[in-house]
Amino acid sequence: MVNITINGKVVRATEGEMLLDVIRREGINIPTLCQHDALEPAGNCRLCMVEITRTEWDGWKKYVTSCLYPVEEGLIVSTHTSELHEIRKTILDLLLANSPHSDVLQKMAEEYGLHKTSYEPNLEGDNCIMCYACTRICEVLGKSAISPVMRGHEKVIAPPFGEEPPDCIGCLACAHICPTNVITWTDENLTRTIWKKKFELIACEKCGKATISRDFAEYLIEKRGLPKEYFNTCDDCKRVELAQKMGALVDKAKEVAL
Amino acid sequence: MKFQFEVKPSLCTGCRTCELACAFSHTRDKKPGRSRIYPIAYAPDKFVPVACLQCDDAACVKSCMFGALKRNETTGAIDLDRERCVKCMACVAACPFGCALVDEGHDNEIVKCDLCGGDPACAHFCPTKALVYKKIG
Amino acid sequence: MRIDSIDKLAAWRDECRKRLDSQKKKVLVCLGPGCLAGGSDKILEEFHEILSKKKITDVTLEAVKKTGCHGFCAQGPLVIIEPEGIFYTKVKKAHVKEIIETTLEKGELVEKLLYKERNGDGTDHAIVDYHDIPFYKYQKRISLRNVGQIDPDRITDYIAAGGYSALAKTLSSMTPQEVIDQITKSGLRGRGGGGFPTGRKWATCAKIESDIRYVLCNGDEGDPGAFMDRCIMEGDPHSILEGMIICAYAVGSREGYIYVREEYPLAVINLQNAIDSAREHGFLGENIMGTDLCYDIKIARGGGAFVCGESSALMKSVAGEVGEPRAKYVRSVVKGLHDKPTVLNNVETFATIPVIINEGADWFASIGTEKSTGTKAFSLAGKVKNTGLVEVPMGVTLRKIIFDIGGGALKDRKFKAVQTGGPSGGCLPEDKLDLPVDFDTLTKAGSMMGSGGMIVMDDRTCMVAVARYFLGVLVKESCGKCVPCREGLYQLHKLCTKITKGKATEDDLNLMENLSRVISVASLCGLGQSGPNPFVSTLRYFRDEYMAHIRDKKCPAGVCRELITFNINDQCTGCLACIAACPVEAITGEKKKLHVINQDLCTKCGSCYEVCNFDAVDIK
Repeated sequence: MVNITINGKVVRATEGEMLLDVIRREGINIPTLCQHDALEPAGNCRLCMVEITRTEWDGWKKYVTSCLYPVEEGLIVSTHTSELHEIRKTILDLLLANSPHSDVLQKMAEEYGLHKTSYEPNLEGDNCIMCYACTRICEVLGKSAISPVMRGHEKVIAPPFGEEPPDCIGCLACAHICPTNVITWTDENLTRTIWKKKFELIACEKCGKATISRDFAEYLIEKRGLPKEYFNTCDDCKRVELAQKMGALVDKAKEVAL
Repeated sequence: MKFQFEVKPSLCTGCRTCELACAFSHTRDKKPGRSRIYPIAYAPDKFVPVACLQCDDAACVKSCMFGALKRNETTGAIDLDRERCVKCMACVAACPFGCALVDEGHDNEIVKCDLCGGDPACAHFCPTKALVYKKIG
Repeated sequence: MRIDSIDKLAAWRDECRKRLDSQKKKVLVCLGPGCLAGGSDKILEEFHEILSKKKITDVTLEAVKKTGCHGFCAQGPLVIIEPEGIFYTKVKKAHVKEIIETTLEKGELVEKLLYKERNGDGTDHAIVDYHDIPFYKYQKRISLRNVGQIDPDRITDYIAAGGYSALAKTLSSMTPQEVIDQITKSGLRGRGGGGFPTGRKWATCAKIESDIRYVLCNGDEGDPGAFMDRCIMEGDPHSILEGMIICAYAVGSREGYIYVREEYPLAVINLQNAIDSAREHGFLGENIMGTDLCYDIKIARGGGAFVCGESSALMKSVAGEVGEPRAKYVRSVVKGLHDKPTVLNNVETFATIPVIINEGADWFASIGTEKSTGTKAFSLAGKVKNTGLVEVPMGVTLRKIIFDIGGGALKDRKFKAVQTGGPSGGCLPEDKLDLPVDFDTLTKAGSMMGSGGMIVMDDRTCMVAVARYFLGVLVKESCGKCVPCREGLYQLHKLCTKITKGKATEDDLNLMENLSRVISVASLCGLGQSGPNPFVSTLRYFRDEYMAHIRDKKCPAGVCRELITFNINDQCTGCLACIAACPVEAITGEKKKLHVINQDLCTKCGSCYEVCNFDAVDIK
């Protein structure tokens, strides 16, 4: 265990733990866009920057992204100085300039007193903020079906060559994790379309309701050793099945008792 | 000390008080959550309350690629870490008893029985004591 | 021949030297990038062509050879005749016959090809030996010691020049710790721009417990106008290999990579040739020079992304991933390539190592300043007379480099500023010219030494346009991973463009200043952190020029098209030249009568200004 000081309060933390986790545990609110507990920290959005110093640094201080900074004994952290406010406000201002229609960004910017961007808004811009959450989650699945392509301001998230991604299994993790809801998909009857690729959705063999994509189910069966028959019915029908089994057991016990 | 649900279907009237208790005890953002327990009729006028069995070798835990489902050693429940969940629905599809659910009222979050942290509200409110949470062993 | 013992090297060196000495006259044809563009490969061919048919005493065919960049690119293509050091400039293929007949056969000089130095009274005098030319006189060449002197494809040339003797010394008489101590004591700092003490980097790497360590060389030179590393890779590849092998011995590495950008095809070829022949002669691979040291080098080719010069992005690129900087607060020397401890040094740094080992740390530390020891190579470019490659001791002033070596601004125009440190460096004005060039002083003045690019600007350069240009480079080269760099530099560039169009307000300037501060503290890697420098440094020293654009809607240097007009004054002789040159037929006039520009049609391309011989076109 190590002792660090956050906004003047001494806090105990486990060595190697990331600063952001400790700060949040203390109930201090720091905005983030690229951080997600299921992912390794990436430091793309820079919103979680904090000011750090140490007694022996003699007044020298530096700004670090707390999501990737491992805590160490004697660290003195400030999370809400006027300079940090300015940094976060400027970052939100820049993001809002590129994605003026994003309600997520608008809401965050409002909290920093920004009602509209100070820059010329890109009215055709989409809401992607390049947090890489989608590509990182795809990497966790071991698929990496999509990735960032091009450089700088031209960078986009795309499947290889902009074609149907061969490794995509249609799990929608990328779409769900996206903080600004840019990744779209459609489920029509038993067909899911995402990244222009079509997937067959498994239909519940009892009621016909669509569940997950067949590719995703096969992936789980193979990777996680789950029995294939678990995926044949939907959750509603499986609950009824359970009730019937339990009921049958009860009735049988009664009969035996009689 | 171990606890377990004792279910007596003969006492269950299908009144769905357990559902209400569950939904309200899981209220968030001023909205009741989706109930994690359902009394289901297995025969005409015969009901049994169905909820997560907290399986030992749980399919939901295995199916989660992001480590969002973990056994809570204190309560014995398999808890969902909402901060890690990506809502990919793998657990919903994988649970053989259909007890991982989607809460449409809360942005399609995944929900499942968490034993209310060790003191299940459903058992408290069951008017006929068809559902009792009791010490075993 | 395989050198399987230390002693064998000395014998081989004697042999190589004897062979070179037997060549009474040597003809060196510079095949550096500048001269090559001037057709020096054809010159070399012509020499071989003529000499293969003609026997001249004291001149063998082998003695006519190509070399790497000799440095004085402004005078290229260059041909140097040794041992006299006769320096022929601006040589064309047609001159070769004359050089052979006059100089090689008769021992006389071809006057018209000699370098001419301007006297104080405006007349010229020719200088024969290049050592006496001011451009070379003030230089001290350590990392460039062999560049322009040896044939990069002949390992024998390198051996004769003392090559691999530092490696032999290291392996025969020094422990790894002693090597690190020597490098630390020499005060050598990373030549790639960061200026991190090389000895400390090696010591850190050697100390970490690990089964594998890597020694990498950064040859991803991406700054516009910089070609120091390119010239070493092309002209003296073995010196880099030798430095890397010594480093591998010091830190205990078995494997390394040289990361070269794909835009340097000749560097890739020459390095690969050097690696192959070093391996063949027992300087690379298993049991180097018969000792226990095993180390091998592979070339990793980069796709030409500027950001891949950043250490963590480079390592990702070598590993086959997308070349983006890693955002971890762990140094690459601890966790680098494949998460193993990695030493990454620049080409110039490695090329310097053998000299330090041979001459000693104290000798090296005596050159330069206390905190920046040794010499540094610079590429002089832009509006300067003597463009080319120079190497000077640290601590000499910018004035010495630009005026004494560089000869001052082109066409004797007024010097305005010098841009140092590549796109993320800064511009320094005339009153900073007496600053010593070292790692720390230039940074304090708002620029940086960087890897050694130096672009000179004269009074016809608009500083706002310069800032806009460099920001443009950075916008294109930003990897796009973090927000401040991707969006911030993009907006900064957009606002800068707005200024050059005369549409910006003072509020825009304030916004830019604030934005610049945030970009430099909040960006993930060095590219973003130093990204606003072109704007910040030009604003710091040329605020008046910015205000002229914003308040008066004028471009004082006459560059920004939206803010200038072209007019013909009464100096016009009515020669019709501008009328012919104008691409949009905006100029009217008759022979021997004053011409007039129709402002509605004029696109401000500047063609009339360029062709006018009578200073009759005014730009306002």
